[in-house]
Amino acid sequence: MPTYTDMTKCDGCGECVDICPSDIMHIDPVYRRSYNIEPNFCWECYSCVKACPQHAIDVRGYSDFAPLGHKVRVLREKEKGSISWKIRYRDGRVKEFSFPIRTTPWGSIKAPADYAAPDAAGLSSPLLAHEPEALKVAALPMLPAAAK
Amino acid sequence: MFISNPFTLLTEFLSPLVMQVYVVLMIVAVAGGTLFDLYHKRSAEFFALRRKHSEAAAQRRLGAGEIAALAMRTVASEVATSGEFCKWPRRVSHLLMSYGFVIYLAATIVMVFVYATAAHTPLVLTALWNIGALMVLVGGCWFFFFLRVNVAYEGHSPFHLMRADLFIGALLASVACGLIWHFAQTAQSFAGGATATLVLFALYLFFTTLLFVSVPWSKFAHMFYKPVAAFQKRLEEANGSSDLPRPADGSHIGS
Repeated sequence: MPTYTDMTKCDGCGECVDICPSDIMHIDPVYRRSYNIEPNFCWECYSCVKACPQHAIDVRGYSDFAPLGHKVRVLREKEKGSISWKIRYRDGRVKEFSFPIRTTPWGSIKAPADYAAPDAAGLSSPLLAHEPEALKVAALPMLPAAAK
Repeated sequence: MFISNPFTLLTEFLSPLVMQVYVVLMIVAVAGGTLFDLYHKRSAEFFALRRKHSEAAAQRRLGAGEIAALAMRTVASEVATSGEFCKWPRRVSHLLMSYGFVIYLAATIVMVFVYATAAHTPLVLTALWNIGALMVLVGGCWFFFFLRVNVAYEGHSPFHLMRADLFIGALLASVACGLIWHFAQTAQSFAGGATATLVLFALYLFFTTLLFVSVPWSKFAHMFYKPVAAFQKRLEEANGSSDLPRPADGSHIGS
């Protein structure tokens, strides 16, 4: 089910435009609120639904095969590191789920650009840049030949 | 510039009555434009329907005291401090614009209705008029060039204008022309003299009229809708009719 924006709740912050992997969340030229420019191309990843700080994005099926009336609502709580879903089915049933999404404080993960550039010798190593220390482990398991 | 009343100097070729009638006409234009907007976009019907749905789905009835407390919290958070914005630059820019506009508007009304023909206008009023306009200009330019969502996130040029820019564009042009016109009025050594001052005044008048008359096509009316939407959201959270999931029980941070 593709996403859509409730324009009375959207404050035009642009988080959904920034996060949409399909680049279909855009800004409406009349109201400067976000909208899904092409629901057919929506991957249904719901990144925008989860990222929206105003809870302004919901999802809906195509009306030709899915009669309306359902709802998928999301509450992301940064300070708790959790995301909760409330699914209302067309027959009136409601289900709620809550999941952990991270265990470290929001914004505490270093961006790749914050690390020092690795040196050229790293090209001959099977490890990726800043492994294993960036993974917070002493060493990664390796095949005997590579470990030599 | 900060010590003179621009509307007193204007009385040399425009009667105070004409200025006062213009201000009243602009107030009528905003009220009429908002009412037309309510009817045309069916916003009142939308909010009434949402209120009805909320009452039908309410898990508990709210008392008058609770509703009054929610209204006060809405005024303190969303109206007075733009609490709905999740990012501080937009919040600060919006506060600069909203308080600047209110100060500028109030000072204009008092200067036009009370001090247009007075020999002396209180310094605080003329200073407030200039400070209000400068606040709008600073907050507005910050928003216009750096924070507008299509500029910041879609990579548009700041000069890529669309209908959504009608309000901010007219507001910025109006206060900028007002300040430049006032500067031209008071600058003794201003080259060009009266003609240039008149042209600047005509531009100020044009953009100010555009700002207030374009309400049905611009987002001017958001200052009335936004508090209503924020209050409704608080009501829904309080009476249990919000369709959002319940907050998670515990924190996963550090687990």
